[in-house]
Amino acid sequence: MTQTVPGRHRAAAIARKVAGHVVRGLVMIWAVATISFVIIREIPGNPVLGQYESLIQKGMSPEQAERATAVLYGFLPTGSLWQQYVGYLGSLLHFDLGRSLSTPGVEVTTLIGHAARWTVLPVLAGTLLSFLLGVTMGVYAAIKRSGRLGDALALSGSLLHGVPVYVIGLLLTAIFATLWPIMPSGGPVDVEFVPGLNPGYIGSLVHHAVLPVVTYTLASYGGWILAMKSNVVAVLGDDFILAAELRGLRRGIVFRYLARNAILPLFTILALSIGMLFGGSIFIEQIFNYPGLGLLLVNSISSRDYALMGGTFLVITVGIVVANIVADLLYTVIDPRVRSGGAA
Amino acid sequence: MTVIVDPAGPPAAPPETTRATLRRNFWRGVWRVLRRKPSRMAGVVIVALFALMGVAGPLLYPAQLPRDDNALYAPPSLAHPFGTDFEGTDVLALVITGARYVLLTGLATAVITVALGTAIGLFAGFHRGRWDTVLMRLTDMNLAIPGLPLLLVLSTVWKFESPLEMGLVLGVLGWGGIARAVRSQTLSLRERGFIEAARGLGLPTRHIIGRELLPSMAPYIAMNMLIAVTGAVYAQVGLFFLGVLPFESNNWGVMLNLAVFNGGALTTPAALPYLMAPLIAILLLTLGIVLIVDAMDEIFNPRLREE
Repeated sequence: MTQTVPGRHRAAAIARKVAGHVVRGLVMIWAVATISFVIIREIPGNPVLGQYESLIQKGMSPEQAERATAVLYGFLPTGSLWQQYVGYLGSLLHFDLGRSLSTPGVEVTTLIGHAARWTVLPVLAGTLLSFLLGVTMGVYAAIKRSGRLGDALALSGSLLHGVPVYVIGLLLTAIFATLWPIMPSGGPVDVEFVPGLNPGYIGSLVHHAVLPVVTYTLASYGGWILAMKSNVVAVLGDDFILAAELRGLRRGIVFRYLARNAILPLFTILALSIGMLFGGSIFIEQIFNYPGLGLLLVNSISSRDYALMGGTFLVITVGIVVANIVADLLYTVIDPRVRSGGAA
Repeated sequence: MTVIVDPAGPPAAPPETTRATLRRNFWRGVWRVLRRKPSRMAGVVIVALFALMGVAGPLLYPAQLPRDDNALYAPPSLAHPFGTDFEGTDVLALVITGARYVLLTGLATAVITVALGTAIGLFAGFHRGRWDTVLMRLTDMNLAIPGLPLLLVLSTVWKFESPLEMGLVLGVLGWGGIARAVRSQTLSLRERGFIEAARGLGLPTRHIIGRELLPSMAPYIAMNMLIAVTGAVYAQVGLFFLGVLPFESNNWGVMLNLAVFNGGALTTPAALPYLMAPLIAILLLTLGIVLIVDAMDEIFNPRLREE
């Protein structure tokens, strides 16, 4: 696009789209924040008030105790529901998620920041790998759909798509860590290596990441191959493919025509897939004892660390919202039909 | 197929017989589809077996399963096909008696998901306009909300004691996909000739929705219901596996949790059969349902038939 006017139109359309997404994402985040606030307040035994009272019993003055509790949970332990709610939202606006109880004194945001990379990197790696693998295999499954190979590929897709992620994870661990122990059974890295840019540490990191990443990959591979196969089958019936074949174009070029048209609708699934993997990280990290956001959430619930629980839940939601926006933007940039800003 | 109309022939059969013939033809079609691929028959058999397990399983065993202190984590044998658990209880018995909770939750979830999703999708697609916009925004939210983290957080205030409670929560969280699909089907169906004809005849909306729209979507909805059963089974087994819910009764998720986090099934092979038994149960149930959905697809979607 060399002319400026369509370019500007396009930029405006994209900006409008992003704005809509951001507004919807904010509503979603607000809804999730409200849910966690209500739940933290409604937990049997009222942990917030309990904390306040135990601090007073330890000899703090009510004001001190009030302030100390507010630091933990992000809102005052006394006062009306409405005041507490406003206080909670107010501290969220300052990116203050309170402090952890199980790791005393540490801010929730710090803990989440440490955990996030153990989730985000494997999820991204898994998404990328499963996308590449699923799309390639999907094209094969479509072209050879009447043969045995195509049948087998489609079946592998349906099975993996249907099976819950923890079943994949548990089976992989049972096979590769228990029966035939070539892989570590858990943890992010071996403790004997000094963290840093040395080959031992990095090798151990990679070694420990293999099974989780493979699980992420297999968990979303099924969806990609099935979607790609049906898209390719649909495109194969189009006239332009026949025309390309009649013109005697090389197979590689026909293949490119095919792949480009069939791949487009997949970008709408990308957001769903990333969201699903974020949810699946809860199981995968639990199985592989991988210190990411999912494990943090489960541990915060079992150790009754409710500020940490609410914060992690919120951050996982934010991650999904951001992934949604990015996926939709990608789709907008790639598909010329959506780009024009029309309803698609 | 050609239909020869004989004007002087016998009068048209009364509607009862035509309906009976239709039904007979339908079942003959089902039988043909099942027979052509024996794997589909296997699907029906598997799901029937699981249903039997859910209904009769707990009756086969005493309320307190027998323990054997001399056979903790016993390897698979004739008496214990999947070995025993940490208390010496037969693992197969645990799987069979645990099926009821799992399947009941699945069923409850599927009914709620499908009822909510169909109602919302039909309403939005049929009336369009402002309601459609509002309902679809709600659906988008429902689809985008991270269900599993929300379930975990909810588990701190709600213990999901009965399978029906669990089904209710899973159903309320999971109707979005069906609502979206039913809406788009409704949008395309309502422009077809037969709906237009019904509207032109002045038939009430109730009739159009109940007698014209729903029947043409019924197979699709039924397939989604089966898929919803598997989704619910996964979700609740997963919740128990994570160990955030109290172990009120025995079920497959509890078994997974105890095998992995108490039995060390991921580090020692001794507890492996204990881990594998519920996994195999889940895989078999999935396989059965996938095969049935595949068969239904072919029965109701004539374009897929390769004859």
